[in-house]
Amino acid sequence: MGAFVEDIVSDLKNVYLMFRFETLKQVKRRRMLMVVIVALLLPLIFYVVPPAFDIDYPDTALSFASLNLGFITLLIIISGAIFAGDAITSEFEKKTGLLLFPSPQRGSTIFVGKYMAAVLATFLVVSLYYLITALEMAQIYGVGSVTEAMGKSYLLALIYSAAVVSIIYFLSAVLKRSITASILGFFLLMMIIPIVTSVISMVDVDPWWSVTHSAGLITDVLGVGTGGVFGPGGGPGEEGFGTGFSPDFYVGTTVMVAYAIGFFIAAIIFATRRRME
Amino acid sequence: MTNDDYAIRTENLTKRYGRGILALDDVSIKIGHGEIVGYLGPNGAGKTTTIKILTNLLRPTSGHAYINGIDANRRPKETLCHIGALIEVPGVYDYLSPRDTLTYFGKVHGMKSRDIDDRITEVLKLVKLDDWENKRIGSFSTGMQRRFGIAKAIFHTPDILILDEPVLGLDPKGMRDVRHMIKDFQKEGMTVFLSSHLLEEVSLTADSVIFLESGKVVDEDTVENVVARIQSNRISVQFLSPLSPSDLARVQAIEAITDLTPKNGGIEFSFDGSPETSAEILAGIMTTGLKVTAFQPERGTLEDFYVSIMNGEGVR
Repeated sequence: MGAFVEDIVSDLKNVYLMFRFETLKQVKRRRMLMVVIVALLLPLIFYVVPPAFDIDYPDTALSFASLNLGFITLLIIISGAIFAGDAITSEFEKKTGLLLFPSPQRGSTIFVGKYMAAVLATFLVVSLYYLITALEMAQIYGVGSVTEAMGKSYLLALIYSAAVVSIIYFLSAVLKRSITASILGFFLLMMIIPIVTSVISMVDVDPWWSVTHSAGLITDVLGVGTGGVFGPGGGPGEEGFGTGFSPDFYVGTTVMVAYAIGFFIAAIIFATRRRME
Repeated sequence: MTNDDYAIRTENLTKRYGRGILALDDVSIKIGHGEIVGYLGPNGAGKTTTIKILTNLLRPTSGHAYINGIDANRRPKETLCHIGALIEVPGVYDYLSPRDTLTYFGKVHGMKSRDIDDRITEVLKLVKLDDWENKRIGSFSTGMQRRFGIAKAIFHTPDILILDEPVLGLDPKGMRDVRHMIKDFQKEGMTVFLSSHLLEEVSLTADSVIFLESGKVVDEDTVENVVARIQSNRISVQFLSPLSPSDLARVQAIEAITDLTPKNGGIEFSFDGSPETSAEILAGIMTTGLKVTAFQPERGTLEDFYVSIMNGEGVR
């Protein structure tokens, strides 16, 4: 029993060490800085541009939030592609695995640590985006305008982030090249799944299983109808890349959680089975 | 000797890639603690495959690999504590410094922060990268990256060091430094398993050598014995002045000499290989009145030996 507990403690320590090492890599490669700058600048556009062109802000704080958060899914997908796309495959492609893998730790602890680093980096970016948006809302509409709906939207955005990172991380586990995993992940979530979802909904079938459809909840929970969503998901009843169906809150949340967990587990299984031949 | 008495032991190790290439065919080797063993073979012989199995980067199709008596593929977390490895040409984390990278690996090996700091200074000095401690590894030359790879391999002071072509990409001075380092590691009690395709290089460092060809062990011996085995049974002789045909005939008449041929102004001939006969022949030549300036047995080169082993000519 003692040895078993020691083993668990040592595994958790190795996950933490890998998480820190991976985060250090992201910081030193300036990827983190790049995405953080985008997360800071994007919401600022909605704050700075209207007064500059003498245009009024939307009437309500939640409409402003909905407009602003229309870009959050794009940012999440960019983040996921950048942080998770090469996390596994680059160890094989660039042969850094020849340094990393012959060390006294389980392969699974390495890959869980890497996943955590990618997820938390994306969470950080999403949090920054929401923080800036909330500050803008407070400044324009008053502190009371930042309601519980924003909190719900934030939590859903975090869940969607985990799903996106899991999907791209899975691609990184199975594909040979980092660039393929990143680009395929980006287009899969930005175009392929949304197009399939749209086509399915056109024939009057509810695409409840679609993760990008479920991502529509991020702005739906603000309760302001279509918020001019860019990319997948969108508000209720929108046209174009969105669907004629609105995701149900519980079903949509469950779908995103299922994608996050399912693809994470599949990625870990494939990554630990992969060999440096 | 029990299983634990060997630092490295493989038992009928076989590795087949997919359904095709047989990379290792029933390889059984034993390496005692504190030995330096060269693992020699041409490219594609299976050296790196063996090393990858020992470090659990690959699993064998059949057979077993043991490190200090522990199965390297069933309990890799335990065996990898004892191993420092430099395998092929590993990639580097371009944006990180040697300090960043070594700190991570030190922590994975359970070292304390203070010990990590001291050890970083120590190993980087050893591989002559002390001025580069905080520079990006991506800016290093090939030789520097190789030296960094060695630093990483020895960082946690392992008892078994596995080096795959360690002098690859190094200049002659770098090669000599690595040889000295390896000898020093042995003095500290480390076992060194050294793969290379350069017999000359290995013979300067290793105690014994294992020859691998097409996935099979074709020979193994101590370096001392290998050197003895490459002595040939030919002697070359140089004279003060060129030999006339009659001089040649007089030398040819010496009984123990066979297969005499003129060479570079002197002669070369075969004999039975014994030192006594060699002395007899020299005395015989002297009685002819010819003035000998050099009389030396020809030695086969290590390269000839290596090629003959790899061609299955059985120099044994």
